[in-house]
Amino acid sequence: MSATSRQADPIEDYIAALTAALHGPARIKARMIEEIHDGLADTVEAHTREGMAYQRAAHQAVGEFGTLDELVPSCQRELTITQARHTARAVALTAPFLVACWYLAWTTDHDQPWQLPRTAQLLAVHLAGVASVAALLAAATLATTGTLARWLPIPHQLPLAVAWTGTTASVAMAVATLALATASVLATNWPLLAFAGALAAASHAVVAASARACRQCARLPAT
Amino acid sequence: MRADAVRGHLDGLLLAVLEPGPLHGYAIIAAVQHRSRGALELRTGTIYPALNRLERLGLLSSSWQSSGERRRRCYELTDAGRHTLASERTAWSEFTTAIGSVLNPAAPPGFAT
Repeated sequence: MSATSRQADPIEDYIAALTAALHGPARIKARMIEEIHDGLADTVEAHTREGMAYQRAAHQAVGEFGTLDELVPSCQRELTITQARHTARAVALTAPFLVACWYLAWTTDHDQPWQLPRTAQLLAVHLAGVASVAALLAAATLATTGTLARWLPIPHQLPLAVAWTGTTASVAMAVATLALATASVLATNWPLLAFAGALAAASHAVVAASARACRQCARLPAT
Repeated sequence: MRADAVRGHLDGLLLAVLEPGPLHGYAIIAAVQHRSRGALELRTGTIYPALNRLERLGLLSSSWQSSGERRRRCYELTDAGRHTLASERTAWSEFTTAIGSVLNPAAPPGFAT
């Protein structure tokens, strides 16, 4: 390999380092990186049109863009807020399913010759409460990080709060899945309870993955 | 003018250069530098997260547009963005008037001899 071919491209190095440093929703991150790559390419093109050699133009373009230490925190802040909005949306859409599942189990229980144990009934009430509070917090997050953010500053700890709200909701969904699976074994009307359990399991999978990504983003430094 | 002095006014600058019509990232940077006659030292990379934020706030909308063989994301002002720009202009005018009257005080009425 010749020395020339081994010579690193400053633009590609910068983009690779930026890609490695940022975490967030894949589609949004890819869009942000692509735009930044385009911007650097345009800057290099402008410099080379003025007669500058590519390597020098690329170094200058990177210098004008700002160091990674200057750029990463502001990019990460946007990605973290976007991830928090994704998690909030997942909770706001799926938590009502959890409440519906328990309502289904509750109403089905009244038609059965057997009764859900008192402990299970209390558990159902608590899980429904957790899911309802999580859904309300998620809806509030969607409002405050969207249009309302023009007038209200977004609290720095909000993404972390959303991450743990999502985590709590996902745990409640996992417990609901187990409880509904157990209840479906005992009930005569088992297909309904099994369906509700499958719905709770699917909700758990969606919310848990999103909350995990949100916890990861919220731990990263951002401005 | 230093980059940190510009930072607090970045939103207004971006909204202002987008007022005539849609532009992509590099064209926005070039427009800011052209309008300021090169006086503003922008860390040009920082405009991309700022554009994303303004879009999240509903002040800008964006779409991919083809330009030759390349595809670029172009931004344009929304109605809310135009309204915010008008507010930014008013606030800036009031601010510069207030600071100007302190830095360059006119002789108060009745003081003239």
